[in-house]
Amino acid sequence: MFQVDGISKRYGELPALSGVSFHVRAGEVLGLIGPNGAGKTTLFECLAGLLPCDAGALRIDGRPATASERRNLLFYVPDSIAPWGAQRLAWAIDYALGFFGGRRDLREEITAQLDLGPLLRRPIAALSKGQRKRALLGIGLLAPQPALLIDEPFEGLDLRQTREVAAALRVHAARGRTLFLSIHQIADAGRICDRLVLLSGGHVRGEGTVAELAAQAAARGAAGALDSLEEVFLALT
Amino acid sequence: MPSRRALSQKAPSPAAPSRKAPFLWLLEKEWRDLLVSRGWWVLLLAMGPVVGLSFLSAMRTYAEVSGLNGGAAGVGEALSPLIGVWAPTFSACELAAVFLLPFVAIRLVAGDRQSGALKLELQQGMPPIGLIAAKAIVALAGWILAMLPPLSALLLWKSYGGTLYAPELAALAGGHILNAALTIALGAAAAAVAEHPSTAAILTLGVTVGTWVLNFFAAVQGGWAERAASYTPEALVAEFQHGLVPLDAVLIALVLILTGLGLAAVWIRMGATARRRLIETAGIAALAVLAIYACSFARPSWDLSENRANSFPEADERALLRIHEPLSIEVHLAPEDPRRSDLEHRALSKLRRLLPDVRVSYVSATSIGLFEQTAAGYGEIRYTLGGRHTISRATTEEGVLEAIYSLAGVKPPEESDDAVYRGHPLAAEPKGAAMVFFALCPGLTLAAAILVKKRFS
Repeated sequence: MFQVDGISKRYGELPALSGVSFHVRAGEVLGLIGPNGAGKTTLFECLAGLLPCDAGALRIDGRPATASERRNLLFYVPDSIAPWGAQRLAWAIDYALGFFGGRRDLREEITAQLDLGPLLRRPIAALSKGQRKRALLGIGLLAPQPALLIDEPFEGLDLRQTREVAAALRVHAARGRTLFLSIHQIADAGRICDRLVLLSGGHVRGEGTVAELAAQAAARGAAGALDSLEEVFLALT
Repeated sequence: MPSRRALSQKAPSPAAPSRKAPFLWLLEKEWRDLLVSRGWWVLLLAMGPVVGLSFLSAMRTYAEVSGLNGGAAGVGEALSPLIGVWAPTFSACELAAVFLLPFVAIRLVAGDRQSGALKLELQQGMPPIGLIAAKAIVALAGWILAMLPPLSALLLWKSYGGTLYAPELAALAGGHILNAALTIALGAAAAAVAEHPSTAAILTLGVTVGTWVLNFFAAVQGGWAERAASYTPEALVAEFQHGLVPLDAVLIALVLILTGLGLAAVWIRMGATARRRLIETAGIAALAVLAIYACSFARPSWDLSENRANSFPEADERALLRIHEPLSIEVHLAPEDPRRSDLEHRALSKLRRLLPDVRVSYVSATSIGLFEQTAAGYGEIRYTLGGRHTISRATTEEGVLEAIYSLAGVKPPEESDDAVYRGHPLAAEPKGAAMVFFALCPGLTLAAAILVKKRFS
């Protein structure tokens, strides 16, 4: 679908991303995993065009994507934001549909999938962290772009909600939506993602399925059992 | 890969929101943000009492000089309603534009950045200037609503039997709207450049204080500072308060508004490097300087005051227009000498409007002129027309015209009683005004605020 090619970003003297490269395939759920401070949010904001990167590009069919192509291709749902706080969720969803040109036919379905019904009449600022996260996921899923970049989709959700949201995301991925999720909880990432990109210290440490990553870790001489993503992650980072 | 178009072309559900243009959605969002903005409600709440104080004070003075309580009759000739009542009443708007409106504008811009809404909205693809324009339009609409108290003063005045002259009131209201637009543009630019709203507020107030310093400097030094000070918001409003609409000041105000909004659009964008933003800022600033320089040559101005306060009598204008030789005037008065201000406002500003090619130069060795009084030539106004010279010390309109007529060999026109402005004396008490401005306006504002609060919570 698109290729991330050599993206680098520094904050002053501090390197946040160093030559980050990987592929994103159409219709897959790709997880971006890494510890806090690994550069996940920086990478997403660079890809969404909200942060200027120092080097590298997002490529479509091998050539750098224009700003317009990037806008048509992907929509980024940031973490820890509370947009339009004074507005009721129902209006915010209508606004998102109208302003971003989103999919009106999915409104009811997504509202049900994310259990947003009871929240529709409440102002966004009055929602709890988890409720706000579900609301933002709903707005993201209603966006018209075929690829979604979601920063920490399970942050603030309890176990049941995490499973329900993961199931909803899977439904949309099965219909052809490409989901690129930044997740710092490795166990969650292993359950929902088709493939994973391991980011640590601004570098890509591995890319592939859990099995492929385990093989990469083994090839690098990792000692011990590599029977879980956590072990693989620790071995590769 | 499913395209964005294919994903968007499914049939809408019956409950789908209306398919209005994204910009209209944005306007609605900004309007709703304004409705929940405390700063705007404080502005609305303050306007009634502040306007009321100004209006009541102006009304009482106007009534007294109009003969109320045994005052001198016929003083209305000297006091037009524009100068006597409307300029002070609407001055409340100037106060609000300086101290309250910036916070409304800053909140509209900074609020989206702080909440994270900007990160979502910038992905829509709408140019940043579109996002800023929507905020500016809504802020200006909010300001026009805040101008309802001074507009309601017009109805009260009419109910007391007062006379209204629409063109001069339109000029006055237009001046305050233009001033508000300047404030909004400044607030938007400051909010976009600064990371935090409090920094933006300091920046905005800093610019306002800067214009006050410039005005002070102009009063002391004259020269280029005097020219620059004539384009500050205070000077702009002052001209409109006298019913004068100068094209150069209007154009320069529009350039400054566009510059502020342009800078806000540059700095609100997130994906650009600081270097690129700085280059674009420099480009906008350079364009603005060029545009301001070009606009300063725009000569036309319109005197919309009923008493032609900014113009010579029509007969004198016709006589002056018959003089085709170049006229130059050398004024030996210091910037702070009150005679210079008299001369400028009573005669030279009118002369410049009529004869754009007249050359006026001020000569002085000091800024206050106090120690120049004994110097030879100080206080002289030297006129040169077609190689002929004359010297006068009169700073009145009549004195200046007399000097020019004698130099040009033109017979002064006959004075006509018909051309004299008689004014509109109104010896009436402002009954009910206190109730309107101190009870009704704040009461209605509070009621509206509570209704809005209920609707949004």
